[in-house]
Amino acid sequence: MKILAFLALVALFAYAHADCMCSADDIKVVLENWESVWGAGFTGKRVAIMQAVFADLFAHHAEAEELFTRVNVAHPDSPEFKAHCVRIGNGLDMALNELADPATLDSALHHLADQHARREGVRHAHFMFMEDSFDRVLPQVIPHFNHDAWDSCYEKIAEGISSGLPA
Amino acid sequence: MLKIAAVILLCAVACNADCGTLQRLKVKSQWSEAFGFSTDREAFGTALWKAIFAQAPEARDLFKRVHGEDVHSPDFQAHSMRVMSGLDQCISLLDDEATLNAQLAHLNGQHDDRQIPSNYYDVFGEALFQVVPAQLGRCFDSDAWHACFDVIAQGIKA
Repeated sequence: MKILAFLALVALFAYAHADCMCSADDIKVVLENWESVWGAGFTGKRVAIMQAVFADLFAHHAEAEELFTRVNVAHPDSPEFKAHCVRIGNGLDMALNELADPATLDSALHHLADQHARREGVRHAHFMFMEDSFDRVLPQVIPHFNHDAWDSCYEKIAEGISSGLPA
Repeated sequence: MLKIAAVILLCAVACNADCGTLQRLKVKSQWSEAFGFSTDREAFGTALWKAIFAQAPEARDLFKRVHGEDVHSPDFQAHSMRVMSGLDQCISLLDDEATLNAQLAHLNGQHDDRQIPSNYYDVFGEALFQVVPAQLGRCFDSDAWHACFDVIAQGIKA
């Protein structure tokens, strides 16, 4: 009986936390973390961080590389791929800065979902792989990087873009 | 007489300032300060579009697809943030010319079939030169902004 009560408590705790995904406090922490490396003053940082994220993604999921042939992924130091890096990072930056305005975020995520649905081969799983890559790269450049806050807000954005895509 | 000539010459140089290395660095740092975060950033975007539509009310017709008739609607706010984010990309790349040119070529392709009258890029610039100083106050460097915005606008409409 005690065990059952304990399990119920654990379940309740898990539920309560799931409910608080990407809270106002999380948003504040995530923006502080992210903008410390993404401000427009830092061109070099933006490119280097996103190059590292993509390098990590391809190191773990080599098959994802072929999705980016159009932007010269074979040459990660080419202007085309670097510009692509800045666009992807800025797409995320835009969504992170809309988290506090749900109606605008919703419209923005729909737009991004349409853009990704048109790209052959992009799957929901790719967004989860990207999450793992961000989790491995960002702590290397952001002191006191908060994984829990980041994951909860990243997942909210990633779900909005990718939930309609093939698994 | 020589002194006056020197002053006039100096002004001519300053008034026709290029978007050089130092100007690019200054615009980058002034932009990142003005751009801000979160709901402040949205308000900054709204101010820009109000300044655009005040100068050219008929320009709203270009934005029917994203509810240009109501700048506060979620669809227009999201559109506003896409445009601001595009501008942010360009400004952040001002000191990486090869990547900037790749990005300008990409944006050029996106604007190609939208039939945007050339003077609307000037309208956008004028609006920018109103709302950025409103954020920054007196330290706004008008010459640097004019010269560097011109580099970006020329790249998108080329």
